[in-house]
Formats: sequence, structure tokens, C-alpha cells
Amino acid sequence: MKLVLERFAHNALALLAVTTILFFMFRLMPGTPLAAYISENLNADQQQQILEQFGLDKPMWRQYLIYLGNLAHGELGLSFFQRRPVLAILLEVLPNSLILTLTSLTIAYIFGVLAGAWLAWRRGSWVEGVAIPVVLATRAAPEFWIGMVLLAILSFKFGWFPSGGASSPGMVYAGEWQRMFSLDYLHHLALPVFTLALYLQGLPLLLMRSNMLEVMHEEFVTMARMKGLSEWRIVIRHAARNAMLPVVTAFALGIGLSMGGNVVIETVFSWPGIGRLLVQAVANLDYPLAQGAFLMIAAVLAVMNFVADLLYMTLDPRVTHGRRG
Amino acid sequence: MKRRTLVKAAGLAAAAPVVATKAFAQNATEKVRKINLYTWPQAALPQAYQASQLIAQQWRQLGLDVDVKPLQRQAQTQTIWYSRDKWDATMWRMVGRPERSDPDEFLYSLFHSSSVEKGYDFVGYVNPEYDKLAEQQRTILDREKRRAVVFKMQEIIDRDQPYAFLVHPKYPLAFSKSVFKESTVVNQSGIGIRNIWTFVNIEPLGAQKDLIINSSESLNACNPLYIGGAVDSWITDLIWDRLMRIGPDGVPQPWAAESVTQVDDTTVEVKLRAGMSWHDGKPVTVDDVIFSFSAPAGDKAPMYKPFVADIASMEKTGDMTLRFKLKQVNAIFFTASLSKINLIPKHIWEPVLKDLEGKPENAEQLKEVNRIGSGPFKMVRWKPSEEVVLDRFGDHFKAPKIDRWIMRIVPNAEATLGMLKRGELNFLGFFGGDPEVLVKFAKENPEIVLVSEVDVGFEFVAFNNRRAPFNDPAFRRALSMTIDRRLMVSAAWQDFAVPANSHVSPVLSYWHDPAVDTMKTGLAEGKKILQQGGYRVIGGKLYYPAGQQEKLTTE
Repeated sequence: MKLVLERFAHNALALLAVTTILFFMFRLMPGTPLAAYISENLNADQQQQILEQFGLDKPMWRQYLIYLGNLAHGELGLSFFQRRPVLAILLEVLPNSLILTLTSLTIAYIFGVLAGAWLAWRRGSWVEGVAIPVVLATRAAPEFWIGMVLLAILSFKFGWFPSGGASSPGMVYAGEWQRMFSLDYLHHLALPVFTLALYLQGLPLLLMRSNMLEVMHEEFVTMARMKGLSEWRIVIRHAARNAMLPVVTAFALGIGLSMGGNVVIETVFSWPGIGRLLVQAVANLDYPLAQGAFLMIAAVLAVMNFVADLLYMTLDPRVTHGRRG
Repeated sequence: MKRRTLVKAAGLAAAAPVVATKAFAQNATEKVRKINLYTWPQAALPQAYQASQLIAQQWRQLGLDVDVKPLQRQAQTQTIWYSRDKWDATMWRMVGRPERSDPDEFLYSLFHSSSVEKGYDFVGYVNPEYDKLAEQQRTILDREKRRAVVFKMQEIIDRDQPYAFLVHPKYPLAFSKSVFKESTVVNQSGIGIRNIWTFVNIEPLGAQKDLIINSSESLNACNPLYIGGAVDSWITDLIWDRLMRIGPDGVPQPWAAESVTQVDDTTVEVKLRAGMSWHDGKPVTVDDVIFSFSAPAGDKAPMYKPFVADIASMEKTGDMTLRFKLKQVNAIFFTASLSKINLIPKHIWEPVLKDLEGKPENAEQLKEVNRIGSGPFKMVRWKPSEEVVLDRFGDHFKAPKIDRWIMRIVPNAEATLGMLKRGELNFLGFFGGDPEVLVKFAKENPEIVLVSEVDVGFEFVAFNNRRAPFNDPAFRRALSMTIDRRLMVSAAWQDFAVPANSHVSPVLSYWHDPAVDTMKTGLAEGKKILQQGGYRVIGGKLYYPAGQQEKLTTE
């Protein structure tokens, strides 16, 4: 329990540090938000009024304290541009990002784990000789390139998938749930998920493969072989279970990482997610919105980090045992 | 000689607060310091970036040291717009808008000395003769006479070259003629086919009754008292009516007004169209109109306040008529006021504005804006990163033939073409990619009709008229003449532009002075002007006329 609390505190502290860095980073960037926000039609008094309204006339440390205070109340402020609460804006697109990320990661990891295990099992064969370079290539190719190629072929040329967006123009649904489980939404989701999964599968596959290669030499595998178990059973039931530990961690962290890293996929496929919102907010120097978006990504990352810690404690007794000893 | 003395005085005055560097001011004949030419990053505006590189090459041949410095939009606004005395030259642009179809906005704001400090005259051009004409043209109701003044103003600007005008771009837009009847798409002069006349006239041919247009930007605000970006004006235009609208020919014509009569120099009588209603079913009344024009007069709608500033009083003269009494003769009242102010329902906005009284917020900052208008479309859905859906308003006097107007947010330029091909879009409202790709695309897809229109706006190099050597009109003229406009058009804009030398676009053919189109350009011309002005080239470098000094630093 102590360790759990320690890990929790550790992640909370990291989040606070991110919050602080974010706050000052935006204010130290060249240019002021006013250049973008304040119209040339406004006179000096009106400009001053707007400065005061957003609290930008106060010294930076006071702005920081106000910011922290508001944050404690779950208040992320008002977007400079959209003039709506940041939290509402973020929550509007968060489900789209989560669905894109989770679906792609799940597909990538299931495929990566199975294919990694299989490739380790087929070590030295011609399959490995072909598959490894292919996997490395998908991992090395830029996401936007994979995305554009898939768009050009599967959408523009053959017309199998829509070219962008999350649903067909003007589609009306009774609610967000109905929308997300509609065929139309899934049809729009397919291509971005495929692209992202293609990009993401390399890591679990290579990780799984190298862990498997290690595990395959362990004594309990030799023991299983001696018992006369089938090869596939040995691979899946015995070796893979042990090799999966680091992959599980990578999965949890991957959720947080790709949440923020989906900017490219979201832009290529016009997917309405948090990444595009973030880019727009940064370009417009919309501090509250950009901070909010970064913070949400950092929060997901911290939570997932914590989950990974917990998983590790449960899956690998050595982590907790070492401490007790 | 007199000019040079003046230049010297101005140069020294401008230099006073600036720390002198040792390298300068050593000789009686002084080298012209290095010039920074600011521009946009290539990714943001490839044409302007390419143009700035070509310009720098041409200027270097005059013996100038030129550095091209790309700046992000925000940083550029900060460096140029808000620090007016620090920079030398920058690429800049003015964009076209329907209300800019009257030349006044550019004629007045760009070079009138009242906007030197904070307004549009960011280059610091000051000319009392020009000021007088700028004010005068606003008060001449006789079009012919006003045109003569407008021509004179263009000639002054041609002589003084406060900017080096480069091109009026042509914006290519497209639509699918398999979805819409081609003849029902309206090209608005200086604006193109993306305009309200198209959207109320366009006729669907088959089952697809939705017009699906793209934008790379989201809608920022949907508020009849505030415009926060280009897309905001596309949409407010469709939801809220105005008494007049700028017609496809660029001339204002009655819209929500049945007639508009100039009774005398300062009196305008308006008869409201009968049978109009708001989207909530209530009738549009003369009281609503009076309210719409008084609402911005206070401090709660600063963006629209200038457009009602000339109204002395309004009087209801009948059930459907009202009279505007103006403070002074105003030749642009139809364009800048009657075609600009959105009609808003009094029963909704009066309590809202009352509630704002005594608070620091104004109507621009309202979080929840009621979107009831009386326009041809009504707002039904707005998902910021995805789409905006407007339904036709069947009770409108110009009820659209399409069922819905749907704007999709598509940040990927190439994907817009894929969408156009697949029918996910059927109207290209903006194309951020290479225009040649679009031309090729239209050739390969015969159902796509490409229309490009010369813009009211223009691209230019702004010279900082406050700083030597740019405070010398001869120097500015020489630099401007050195720029080969034809090369700009073909190499930088791939022929999607026409050469410019005026702030009044040739597309406004009535107001554009053809006399200014004859400026000779070329390196030889530029060199000649510099030589006549006393500038000398020594060892390949350009030097000021003898005795002239400046102590500015390149920033």
C-alpha cells in the first residue's frame, strides 16, 4: 500500500511539474496572445479592458497562483478564441481521440504480441527474413506518409473509405453513443485506425519477439518440451505469458503517448480529436485551450503510468518483493 | 536639394532614440545598411515566400545587402504591427471582402495619417494632400466626381510608392456540376463564387440537395456583433440579413430593404421589405431595424461601432419605413453601414445588452449567443472541429433551393480534392494547396468546374516610410521598379494573379485608374532612379547621396 501511495505521489508531482512548465512556457513564447486576439479595430482602452478581463495585466506569479487555484476546482478557464469553457471544448473531442487511440493500440498490440511470438518461434526462417525489415519499415515511415498513401489508394482511387471526418456530412444522431456505434462512424474510423495501428504495431512486435527469444531459452520451456506439449501451446501458454510483461507496460504508456501524438493522423484524416485542437490552439496562442489540451494529455499519461506501475506490481511479484526484503 | 535636406532631417529624427553603431556614420558618404525583408514561412504562404526570395535577388543587384527573414504570423504581427518603428520592409497582404468592393476602406484606412499610430497605416505614410482627398471622396455623392478624386489618390500613391504593390491574387474555387446547375452559380466581382448570391441561387440537379463546402479553419464565433475570422463572416452573412448587400457587380443593392432612397445629402429613407420574419417566427419590424443600428453605438459592440458612427438619428416614419439622419455627407453609407450591420431581433438582444450594462464584458465576449436571425439560412448544428450545418429558411424572401449548407472542417488540402471526387464535398470554398494541382485535378475530373476570380485584395512589400532610406520616395520607387511583376505572377503565383500597382483592384473597374498600370519595371529603371536621386554604387555596394547619414540599426 505504501508503495502504491508512493507511486501515486510520484505521478501527481510529475503532473504538477508539467502544469508549471506549461504555464510558463506559453508565456515565454515569442509574441503575445493579444496580437492574435485583439482586433485592429479596438482602441487602446478596449485592448486594456480585454487584458484585464483575461487577467493578463497582472504579474505572472499572480496569474500562476490564480491558474493553480482554478485548476484545483477543475476550472481550466475560457478559450481566448472560442470564448467557451476549455473543459467543455476538450470533452467534446476527447471521446474521438480515445476511440481512435484505444482501437488502434488494441489492434496493434494484439497483432504485435501474436506476430512477435510467432516470429520468435520461427527464428532463422525465411519468414523472419522478410517480416523484420517490413516491420522496421512501417515503424520508420512517417505517419503522414503512410496516411496519405492509404488515402490515395483506398479512398481516392477505389473509394472504399471516406476521405476524412468522423461521420458523413450532416448526419444526425440521437446521441454520442449512437453515433460512435453507428456503421457510418466506424466506416470513417477504419482508415485512421488502420494507419495508426500499422505505425504502432512495430514496438510490441519487436519487444515481444526479443523477450520471447530470451524466454525460449529458460528452463521451464525446456521442461514443457520434455513434457511433450505442442510447440504452439508452449509458445502461447508458457513462454508468451512471461514475455508479455514489458509489453503490458508499453501498452499503458502507449495510450498516453499516442493521445498527444495523434496530431498527424488527425490532420491527415480530418479527425476531430484532441491533437488537432492542440495544434490550432498553439498556433493561435490560445493559452487556456493549449494548456488545457496539454494538461489533459499529461493527465492521461500520468494515470496510465500509474496503471502501469500497478500492473507491474501485480504481474511481477519481484517489484514488491524486492522492496519488502 | 530641398528634398535631400528633408530626408536627412527625417532620418536623423527617426534615428534619435536608436543607438548608433560604429560601422555607420564614419564617412560623409555612407553605405546603405543591411535591409531585413520579413516574410511568411514557406509552409504558411508559399507564394509570398517565393516572391520575397525573388525580390531580394533583384534588390541585391542594386548593391543592397538584403536578408530574407521568415516569421510566424504571430511573431510578424508583433514585430511589424505592434512595433511600428523597428522594421524596414516586409511582405504583407490585404484580403478581399464584399464591403471592400467600395474602394473607400483601402483608400482611407491604408494611407490616411489618422491610422499611422495604431491603425492600418502601419507603414507610416503621411501626406496631407492625400489625407484631404481621402476625406473628400467620402463626402462626394456624385459618382463621376468621386471617381476623379479616387483616380488622383491612386496617382499620388503610384508616385510615392509607400508600398511596392505586387499582385492581386486569383483564388481558384470549384464546384461539382454533376450536383449543381452550372448557370445558377454566381461569381461576385472581386470575391469569387463563394458568396451569398451563389448560396441562395444555386440549384441542385438530383437527389443531393445539400451543399457541402470545406474550410481549413473552424468557426470561431457565430455572433452578429463580432467577427473572429474569415469563416465567421461566411456564416454570419447567411444567418443574419442586412438592409443592403453588395451585389455580384460590387455595387450595394437593397436586400432586406425594399427600397433605399437618398432624400438629401444627409438623409436616407429606407422602406423595409414586407412579410419578413425571424427564425423564431416573430415578424421583422422597423423597430428591430432601428434597434440593430443603435445597438453597436454604445460600447458593447466595438467592432461594429465605426459603421454607425455617422448616424445622427433614426426616425420611424411609417409601419415599414424609417429615416436615417447623418452627421455629415457620407458617400459610403450604403456600403459601410447599410450593407454591413446585421439585423438582430430586438426581443432577444435588448435584454442581453441590458444585462451587459455596467459590466466590463461586451457583446463580443458572450459565451452563448442566440443565433436567431432572419437570413436565408438558420443554424442547426455546430461541432467546432467537424462541421457547421445550416438549414434553409423557407420563409425567406430569397429562400435557398438547397436544403442544407454544410461546412466541413478539412485541414488536409489534398484530402479536399479526394472528397470533391467522392462527393463528400461538392463545393470547394477554399484550397490551401498548389493551384496547379487543382487545375490538373479539374482537367481529370470533367464534372468539376474551376472558377478563379481576381481578388479585391493584394499582396505587397510594405516599406517602413518612417525609416531611412525608405523615407525617401525616390528610394522606394527605385526598389519597387526593380521588382519584375511578370516574374512574380508566373514564378511565385503560377499565373494565379495579375500584376498590381494600386490599392484599388482592377476588378473594381469603375474605380481603378488604368494610368497607374503603366509603371516601367526592371533593374535598369531602378538603377536610373537611384542615380538621379544621388545614390552611388561603390565596389558593388549602394551608398547614400553625399553628405547624407543615418544612424539606424537593422532589426
